Amino acid sequence: MAICEVKNLTRDYGNGRGVFDLSFSINRGEVFGFLGPNGAGKTTTIRHLMGFLKPQKGYCTIGGMDCWKDRADIQKTLGYIPGEMVFFEDMTGTEFLNFMMKYRKVKTNKRIKELMDRFELDTRSKIKKMSKGMKQKIGIVAAFMHDPEVLILDEPTSGLDPLMQNRFIELVMEERSRGKTILMSSHIFEEVERTCSRVAIIKNGRLVAMDEVEKLKAAQVRKYVITLENEKAAAAFASEGLHVSEVSKNQVTVIVQNNIKELISVMNRYPVTNIITPNQSLEEIFLQYYGGDKS
Amino acid sequence: MINWTLYKLGIKGIWKMLLIFAAVITMYFVVIISMFDPALGSALDEFSKAMPELMAIVGMNPVSAELVGFLEAYLYGFIMLVFPMLFCILSANKLIARHVDRGSMTYLLSAPVKRETVAFTQMKVMVTGIIILIFYATLIGIVDCEISFPGKLDIWKFILLNIGVLCLHLFIGGICFLCSCIFNDSKYAVGVGGGIPALGFVIQMMANAGEKLENAKYATFFTLFDSDGIIIGESGAIWGMIVLFVGAIVLFSTAIVIFSKKDLHI
Repeated sequence: MAICEVKNLTRDYGNGRGVFDLSFSINRGEVFGFLGPNGAGKTTTIRHLMGFLKPQKGYCTIGGMDCWKDRADIQKTLGYIPGEMVFFEDMTGTEFLNFMMKYRKVKTNKRIKELMDRFELDTRSKIKKMSKGMKQKIGIVAAFMHDPEVLILDEPTSGLDPLMQNRFIELVMEERSRGKTILMSSHIFEEVERTCSRVAIIKNGRLVAMDEVEKLKAAQVRKYVITLENEKAAAAFASEGLHVSEVSKNQVTVIVQNNIKELISVMNRYPVTNIITPNQSLEEIFLQYYGGDKS
Repeated sequence: MINWTLYKLGIKGIWKMLLIFAAVITMYFVVIISMFDPALGSALDEFSKAMPELMAIVGMNPVSAELVGFLEAYLYGFIMLVFPMLFCILSANKLIARHVDRGSMTYLLSAPVKRETVAFTQMKVMVTGIIILIFYATLIGIVDCEISFPGKLDIWKFILLNIGVLCLHLFIGGICFLCSCIFNDSKYAVGVGGGIPALGFVIQMMANAGEKLENAKYATFFTLFDSDGIIIGESGAIWGMIVLFVGAIVLFSTAIVIFSKKDLHI
């Protein structure tokens, strides 16, 4: 059953910016990854879901309610981590969380305490003096404090160190097992791989692709940058019949899908000095899977 | 319709500003009242005679020799217009536009609280501030006069004068709040929301200055606050107050509707 539905959503900012005729739906209990390069329209879509913007065309619903007309009712069971953390001026973390608790009319602070322990958060200092990671943790606590049914998370782990990123992923997985519905925009492959069941990718405001993460993983393509002793060796290496995407000086970039053994055997015959696997963005992996720049 | 948690946050945000304005008002009241001399007129009247035009521009030409007329001329022509006006401009920006501009409005709206409630609550905060400021001025005026010149002040007329100035500032507050709700940028909210009342005030000063520009008074809503008329007891002055008050309600209502319907890029 679809708990969140976006249908023909359009908002044209001019110059090709905005979102155009965007449609997707998220089922109850699903963690949905929402990906795309900067300026693709992810935040614009999320603003519509939050009821901050009125669709020019189309509509979006959460729990069967219209995101623009019924925004206050939707918020009762919605948790939101904004892409940019801006709090009220001159408040400590404790003051902010207490304010949000009363403002939302949340009865108990049990959940807040639990989340603060989980993320080792000390809220006693002024928010404006806190690091980005600390602010992010406060945003996380504020989003989960009322145990919402639906969560909209806009790059929720930005600013967190790897340990805390991991704890956040654990939290998301727990929420998923409790039947919560989550929309998450992210740039980190591992995060999406571990949590999401489906992924949608948007580019220039349009849906480029949407599929299950399992399929994506099965077809995952890896990139290796191999450094050789000299340019001559590099040129020879590149002509070995491997899938080479780039040669620059003594470095060769090879794309490997299932033939890693073949690469190893070729490397054995050449004066290889270094091998690195550059971090590929999720969009990159996804677009390769869908046959490159077809948009 | 009102969220008390947000109301408390708002009051917490403006009380320092209120304190400063109250201190300034106290200082002016004490100094000006001490210059009143029931027998001889005041030292300030000498200024009026020496520089009638300059004093007229800032509304300082008493229509009555009584203490209440003296207060009206020297405090309610400039001090009690400018300082509460500044409070309106600053607080209106702080309560809505600044939250939208910075992005902290996100947290006020990602909760089951209607936009109408957020705007109405912030309006309440601002109106509370204006009322406190004018009420405080009324109180300090009465107390100081009763101590320095017992029985000399026509208290009812003075209270009526303050109700008049309250209506004026609710109207100004309405303009500032409307601009704060319309503009997403703090600088435009302050620029337009502060610019309109400031321009109105300048036009009034011009109209005060001379006969040639007297008709300029029809171009500014400040004319609706007819402090001289209140002292003399003209019924037109009361109508002016009513118009300002109704205008304030219209402005605030429009502001809340606009804020509830607009797109927010937060």
